[in-house]
Amino acid sequence: MSQRHADHAHDHTDVPSEPALRVKALESLLVDKGLVDPAALDVLVDTYEHKVGPRNGAQVVARAWVDPAYKQRLLADGTAALAELGFAGGQGEKLTVVENTPTVHNVIVCTLCSCYPWPVLGLPPTWYKSSAYRSRTVMDPRGVLRELGLDLPAEVEVRVWDSNAASRYLVLPERPPGTASLSEADLARLVTRDAMIGVAKVLSPRAGGGA
Amino acid sequence: MNGIHDMGGMQGLGTIGYQASEPMFQEPWEGRVFALIRAVPVGSLRPYIERIPAAEYLRMSYYERWYTAFLTRLLEQGVVTRAEVERGHADPAAGKATPAITPAVARELLFRTPREEQDIALTPRFHVGERVRGRNIHPTTHTRMPRYTRGRTGVVERLRGVFNLPDREPGAGEPTPQHVYLIRFPARALWGEDAPAHDALYIDMWEDYLESA
Repeated sequence: MSQRHADHAHDHTDVPSEPALRVKALESLLVDKGLVDPAALDVLVDTYEHKVGPRNGAQVVARAWVDPAYKQRLLADGTAALAELGFAGGQGEKLTVVENTPTVHNVIVCTLCSCYPWPVLGLPPTWYKSSAYRSRTVMDPRGVLRELGLDLPAEVEVRVWDSNAASRYLVLPERPPGTASLSEADLARLVTRDAMIGVAKVLSPRAGGGA
Repeated sequence: MNGIHDMGGMQGLGTIGYQASEPMFQEPWEGRVFALIRAVPVGSLRPYIERIPAAEYLRMSYYERWYTAFLTRLLEQGVVTRAEVERGHADPAAGKATPAITPAVARELLFRTPREEQDIALTPRFHVGERVRGRNIHPTTHTRMPRYTRGRTGVVERLRGVFNLPDREPGAGEPTPQHVYLIRFPARALWGEDAPAHDALYIDMWEDYLESA
């Protein structure tokens, strides 16, 4: 829970922000008109708060690391390979998985808006939607990555994927060294949201990987 | 349109504000906006977000933009009236609808992947490996062609399938299905000789955005 939420919980005299009031009023109006069932809204919020998120993508990545045939299917048709693990839904029609190697590093952005692979990563974080990330990543990906803590050697090819159309992208990070003995579930725990966007690498367990 | 939303390659837009983790919704109202938009399908809101005046667009948070676009669309379609929004409840004379999205349908949405690809056989104008250039066009409608691709030369990497051209007024006429191509632009073709020689940018382009180079 964010600090902001924690503060709210303890401060009952807090005046709701103006957007909160306007959104509440609009919701009441749409319910009043019979257009919206508030219980359906609860389900939708709960789905994206709790049921969809980077843990889905981490399972996909771990499976690809341990199962070469799955990895092949994943790179050939991301949407179909996701469905094998039960992941589907909005923003997943044309899911393209791009593989990081010792010579190629991929990073994802949406310059026009906020396109993001919901079925595997959930909704995008605020910084991904920031004007600075959207504007800079296409022109200076190495600078953005450095700022986020990833300094790539000059000989590595950086590929930026601007998710402007129907395609959504997921980065398949490199499997870190020292993980040969780990189970698929343990591997999945090492995989971070940032590594699947391409702004970080997956660290080996001894280097402090995982959350 | 050449709007503020078309940000790729702009400079001076502040800091990224990276956070290692954050709640899916910063405030509860953001989740309600997100859910309302899914519960009352009114068509694509992107064109409406892009028409928010630039100064306001930059001042607004992400979900304020979606709220603004959603309300604009609801009013434009006559789903709600300005008077109802101001009063906060329905005009008693207006009929009562039945919600399109029930809790059961909302649960299914998680497993339903909407399909935008069109099953139409069209002969592609370009082939894999062909050199193509982003056309110098300035649509006044919504478009998925970022301006940084205009006049730049890349190579067709892959055919994506047939999709309706998004460059049209909301609700205008018959859709225009055409091939979409994955294009690889060398970083230097986009950003000049200072860009690293090996780096590249990949982007999907509708046929109308491209010409032979």
